[in-house]
Amino acid sequence: MRALVDTSGEGQIASARGLVKTYGKGEAAVRALDGVDVDFARGELTAIMGPSGSGKSTLMHCMAGLDTPTAGTVMVDGEDVGRMSQRRLTRLRRTRLGFVFQAFNLIPTLTAEENITLPLDIARGTLDRAWFDTVVDAVGLRDRLDHRPTELSGGQQQRVACARALVSRPAVVFADEPTGNLDSRSSGEVLGFLRRSVDELGQSVVMVTHDPTAASYAHRVLFLADGRLVGELEQPTTETVLDALRDLGAGREAADHDASLARPSGHAAPGTAGARHAAGPVPR
Amino acid sequence: MTRVALRGIRSHLGRFLLSVLAVLLGVAFVAGTFSLRTMMSSTFSELVETSTVGDAYVRGAEQIAAAASADMAAVRTGVPLDLVEEVAAVDGIGTALPEITGPIVLVGADGTAVAAGNGPPSFALALHPEEPSTELVAGRAPTGLGEVALETATLEASGLAVGDSAQVVLGGELTPVDVVGEVSFGAPVAGATIVFLDPVTATEVFAPEGLVTSIAVYAEGDLDEEAVVERLRAALGPTLDGLDAEVATGEAVRDETRAQVEQILGFVSTFLLVFAAIALFVGAFIIANTFQMTVRQRQREFAMLRAIGASPAQVFTSILVQALVVGMLGSALGVGAGVGLVAGLREVFARMGMELSGQIPLDGFTVLVSVLIGTVVSVAAAAVPARRAALTPPVEAMRDDVAAHDRGSVIRAVVGGLLLAGGVAAVAVATLGELDEPGMLLGAGAAGVVIGTLLLAPTVVPAALRVLAAPAVLALRPLGGLARGNVTRNPRRTASTAGALMIGMALVGAAAVLATSTQASTRAIVENESTADLLLQSATMAVPAEAAREVGEVDGVGAADLLEVATVTVDGDARTAIGVEAGIFTRALDITVVEGALESLADGEVAVQRGTAEDEGWAVGDELEVRGAAGTLSLTVGAIIDSRAIGVPLVLAQEQYGELVPAGQSVIDSVFITLATGAEVEEVRAAITEVITPYVVVTVLDNEEFADQIADQVDQILVILYALLGLSIVIAVLGIVNTLALSIAERTREIGLLRAVGLGRFQLATVVTIESVLTAVFGTLLGVGIGVGLAATLPTVYADEGLTTLVVPWSQLGVVLGLAVVVGVLAAVWPAVRAARLDVLDAVSYE
Ligand SMILES: Nc1ncnc2c1ncn2[C@@H]1O[C@H](COP(=O)(O)OP(=O)(O)OP(=O)(O)O)[C@@H](O)[C@H]1O
Ligand SMILES: [Mg+2]
Repeated sequence: MRALVDTSGEGQIASARGLVKTYGKGEAAVRALDGVDVDFARGELTAIMGPSGSGKSTLMHCMAGLDTPTAGTVMVDGEDVGRMSQRRLTRLRRTRLGFVFQAFNLIPTLTAEENITLPLDIARGTLDRAWFDTVVDAVGLRDRLDHRPTELSGGQQQRVACARALVSRPAVVFADEPTGNLDSRSSGEVLGFLRRSVDELGQSVVMVTHDPTAASYAHRVLFLADGRLVGELEQPTTETVLDALRDLGAGREAADHDASLARPSGHAAPGTAGARHAAGPVPR
Repeated sequence: MTRVALRGIRSHLGRFLLSVLAVLLGVAFVAGTFSLRTMMSSTFSELVETSTVGDAYVRGAEQIAAAASADMAAVRTGVPLDLVEEVAAVDGIGTALPEITGPIVLVGADGTAVAAGNGPPSFALALHPEEPSTELVAGRAPTGLGEVALETATLEASGLAVGDSAQVVLGGELTPVDVVGEVSFGAPVAGATIVFLDPVTATEVFAPEGLVTSIAVYAEGDLDEEAVVERLRAALGPTLDGLDAEVATGEAVRDETRAQVEQILGFVSTFLLVFAAIALFVGAFIIANTFQMTVRQRQREFAMLRAIGASPAQVFTSILVQALVVGMLGSALGVGAGVGLVAGLREVFARMGMELSGQIPLDGFTVLVSVLIGTVVSVAAAAVPARRAALTPPVEAMRDDVAAHDRGSVIRAVVGGLLLAGGVAAVAVATLGELDEPGMLLGAGAAGVVIGTLLLAPTVVPAALRVLAAPAVLALRPLGGLARGNVTRNPRRTASTAGALMIGMALVGAAAVLATSTQASTRAIVENESTADLLLQSATMAVPAEAAREVGEVDGVGAADLLEVATVTVDGDARTAIGVEAGIFTRALDITVVEGALESLADGEVAVQRGTAEDEGWAVGDELEVRGAAGTLSLTVGAIIDSRAIGVPLVLAQEQYGELVPAGQSVIDSVFITLATGAEVEEVRAAITEVITPYVVVTVLDNEEFADQIADQVDQILVILYALLGLSIVIAVLGIVNTLALSIAERTREIGLLRAVGLGRFQLATVVTIESVLTAVFGTLLGVGIGVGLAATLPTVYADEGLTTLVVPWSQLGVVLGLAVVVGVLAAVWPAVRAARLDVLDAVSYE
């Protein structure tokens, strides 16, 4: 098992040291993140798993500069996010970060194409047509570009959101349960695209998921519990993820365990993902 | 369900406050109008009460002309002064005092005329020591021509004190006087300037022929008014009949006076109520808009209620209950604000020297009407969205992004289109000039155009705003595009927000066109018709006769032609007539003669204005019986003229005019001055200025300045109009604020998302501002377009009334459009700051 913290600083695109996030004060205070040290590798798809309330979303938000940590440092692509002014944070989000939310990712008044190019428009950057085409073809939405979000299916909407997150060639894309609302087929589309964006387009992606099958698309899975990193898995398959979850949950209350496993429902049979994974890039 | 409704208000307090504010403003205007009216009316009836205290009045029997308009008093024949002694001798009569009154100008301590202008009147009264209505509070009663006493408020306004020397213009002459006393009526006199003279002097000046308007009779002991009248009739019946005089009870006279006051005030309050109605109408727009949006936002909540078994009626009722609360709260606060408004106005009036009655009256009627109007408007405005919310099937509402369903849109567009077309057709027909009374049709057409446009607006919003937004979209990528998307996504909302502004702006546009056209028309008239070199006018509307005479003797003045004005009756109907020297038409006035010749004036014939001649069917050669306060003449129509400089129906030669109108009642409106050949205008003007300076109120003008003066008066009216319209625009701005705030609340998650993908705070604020400006500019363009379009038809319709020239004040309209941009930016400030302050994470996870 590789060290959780890569001290060399070489292959990492984003990292956190001693990250603490506390909500509320005094008695009612919740330590959502309780001293997290983590590195996300460049050119990899990293998945984050953990029971509900373990701090996954909080970690993503802190990494993406959407939330300010109570203590600790966050570095993204060599810059200290925690020390940035609102203005610089905004610029960082525009140019070097991509973010995909669990739901509601698109501006309803804009077409799919306009939604995809929105970060570039905001940044007044010039659109790299070739890259745009690559991304659009990768998400398979070429014939849907003129459609409004209401005219797209949930999976298509999430793929548009992924395309938007990638179109400005950000250093890293954070995706918080990008497939949380989707059925297995649609999540397959989205996850396949994320994986290919890493393998073929050289992007770095971090995603949160509750679904072992989804996690099996990743190069690496990190496990979070009670605001701490508690485990890691390289080259995961659905089975190894399930096993890891079972191991981690052994010392914990069953309810928590069930909650974390109950969420992915009706997913593809275990095994296929591993097989696909072994074959490298996943065909859509 | 009521509890659900009330909780709803509590949890969305912010958004309801804006609706409350809208109701408040509208109702404040209504309540303010009513109580202002009541206050004025009570001020005047108090004045009538305290100044007209006689038990009976002897006056000219025949009201030879009823007041033809609100600003014209009834014309009566006079009664001889000799009658006073006979009346006083009747058994049971204590005193009989002739009411002798006439115009006067008082020069204040600062050397300017006291209360000169179009405002409250300035007049002199004979002070009878035994008169019960007046009380000498300081000094003594005046005796002789060189002494006056002043009414308390007049004394204060003049800056003079008892014992000071002053000057008055009396009987057309500048007279030095001493202020010897202060007299009070015991009630505010509403800004009137009142100077008291001793009865002998007053009689000499105002009743040289021995005719007075009336004689006040006071009973001896407590005889009731009816009995006094009885006794006078019994004792003097035949004498009175012979003199064409009558006796009326004090109460009857007071009632008549009060009725006249009411008539004038009625006109004023109708005018104000029109603006109140506009304010409320605009307010209703905002209320409807607010409810439409809040209802839409809470669609899921209602769907949930429906799903757990609430009936559509219950949902409907719960929304109406909220509207009821908003309406009543807004109305109650509005009544309070109205009282505040009137209190402020009274302060302003008092500063301007017009003291009004002490307390602000707030009767049950005012409160009831205001609250009722505010509440009904609120509930009615909320009914439409409430109905829609109640009838939306729960499944549909449960869906995530409730699309704006607009089933009625086609019907509405069709109705709007028909109304617009009908309105335009009606206006077109009215302008053709075939109709006798085009005003009605024009009004109906205008209403059709306005309502049609309001209904049609949602249909044109997408296309219109795409065009309007084009510059912003190109210049500010992608902010312009985002803003455009936001204003076009719910056309109906944008249309009604803009509609509120449209109404006010339509009136602004129309007023601007009317004002400039009026100014241009008068200028044209003055330039076309007046050939005089200089003109003498007075701020009190009456040039002192002595001043006119002195100016006539100035070196270099070839002729000074007087234009005297009075009311006479022709075959029983009151008409304004002017008396001129026949020669004026060869020197100073060049007017169009339609038929006959003006030279006939010299032969004792009259000239008649074309409009009047057409209405009455008079033709050259007809005999008219003309009656004035001093006598009756039978005159032949010698000419039919068409003049706008002389806007009166009847032109008489000076000799006939003198026989009809007693000298004390004639008013010199203006003096036309023609220079002697070879005289230098500037030199003569300087000499004239020297002569008229002591008269304080008299000014000398050339034609250019005369036109400017009229233009200034129009501008003053325009300012008042704009101030009133400003209120409807303030309400409309509130509407934009409201709509923006609600639409931002509606798309909180979207805003969070935009921020998450890198939209800066300032950029977000810019998007909101562009939306606001687009809405404001759209409303203004529609409104100004309609206003200008409709007002442009008026010169064709009302050419006969003096509106001959159409001038569209483009630069002024440009300023209005610029103002719309400013309004848009201002309206955006609060919502934009709120949007920019949203925390990205909170916004994204907003439900
Ligand atoms: N804004 C907040 N205020 C207070 N507590 C919060 C807030 N946001 C998160 N928390 C708490 O912080 C902890 C971590 O929350 P977080 O949203 O990161 O969990 P998560 O791992 O994403 O859970 P899930 O899988 O359910 O999305 C939870 O106990 C939560 O209650
Ligand atoms: Mg989460």
